[in-house]
Amino acid sequence: MKRIAVIAVLVAAFVPLAAAVAQLPTFGEASNPTNTYLVPRYLQKGPEEAGAANVVTDVILNYRGYDTNGEVVVIFTALIAALATLLVRPKQMAATPPGDDAPRSPIVSFVVKAIAPFIAVFTVYLVLHGHLSPGGGFQGGTIFGALIILLSLTLGHKYGLSLLPERSRPWLQAAAVLAFIAVGLLGWALCGAYLAYPSYSQLEWVREGWLIALEIGIGVGGAAIFATVFWTMEAEP
Amino acid sequence: MIRALWANIDYVASVVLFLIGLYAVIAKNNLIKKFMGINIMETAVFALIISVGTVRHGSPPIMGAGARAPFINPLPQALILTGIVVAVSTTALALSLIIRIYRQCGTIEADELRRLE
Repeated sequence: MKRIAVIAVLVAAFVPLAAAVAQLPTFGEASNPTNTYLVPRYLQKGPEEAGAANVVTDVILNYRGYDTNGEVVVIFTALIAALATLLVRPKQMAATPPGDDAPRSPIVSFVVKAIAPFIAVFTVYLVLHGHLSPGGGFQGGTIFGALIILLSLTLGHKYGLSLLPERSRPWLQAAAVLAFIAVGLLGWALCGAYLAYPSYSQLEWVREGWLIALEIGIGVGGAAIFATVFWTMEAEP
Repeated sequence: MIRALWANIDYVASVVLFLIGLYAVIAKNNLIKKFMGINIMETAVFALIISVGTVRHGSPPIMGAGARAPFINPLPQALILTGIVVAVSTTALALSLIIRIYRQCGTIEADELRRLE
């Protein structure tokens, strides 16, 4: 009985969605409305107006900078909410979780130790080169957070925690928000609006510097937040 | 109708993925499986919006030496990058709530939780 009800719900959801999708403009045409309104201007003027060859970075950090600013606040709030929900103190986080003293596979530890430096260098490249090639702060930060989680899973909890020293951990977690506030206020002081970029073409290096500052902030903040969320969930109350 | 669906088969794939997520949400009993269903639905929406911006034989929207038109639409990609981060935030919060429920009630099966009330 329950199975029939579930199938009925799925069919009732599929029919209108499929009908709507069938009426959309054909997939992949360059003349679709989504590709002809507003986007040609971004593609044409993005690199010179916003300062990054990667137009996705231009949109994220310049044209829609407020949006991204709100978003880093959202992810920071999610960290605060997770910490508040689980009520974890830093001391509990440092305590050895059960199973931490279990013997680890020497093969896994060796392989992880061997590839970790390469992953770390790759994240640095992604963050610092993100405005000129595919990549950026979010992508690099996610991979670095995954690297910290991988290290604390294979080489031990304490080793992972030592990568983010306890005294600087809150600052690292807030790095993305702080970078946005700093660049935003600089833009306010120098160019008259929050998160405004200098528009003169002589000041291209300033724009590039601000983009890189934002990318580094997003990368460091993202990695610290992902790792802390993992440790929070792992910690015993 | 069938021909129009076939021409937009990439969008139909997103719809099917969305329904797989919906199935997990309404048919599964475990809270973590339910939330995995919500994550699958989010992924389906992201895939749909990204594929709306696709241009056939387009190159990535990165200007510089050797770049040539047509370019893939950069706007959906930028918007979805934002969406992915928000999805990660909701996932972190939901998983913490589920852990808290497990500590408080000793179970994360929806019907057992209902019986506990």
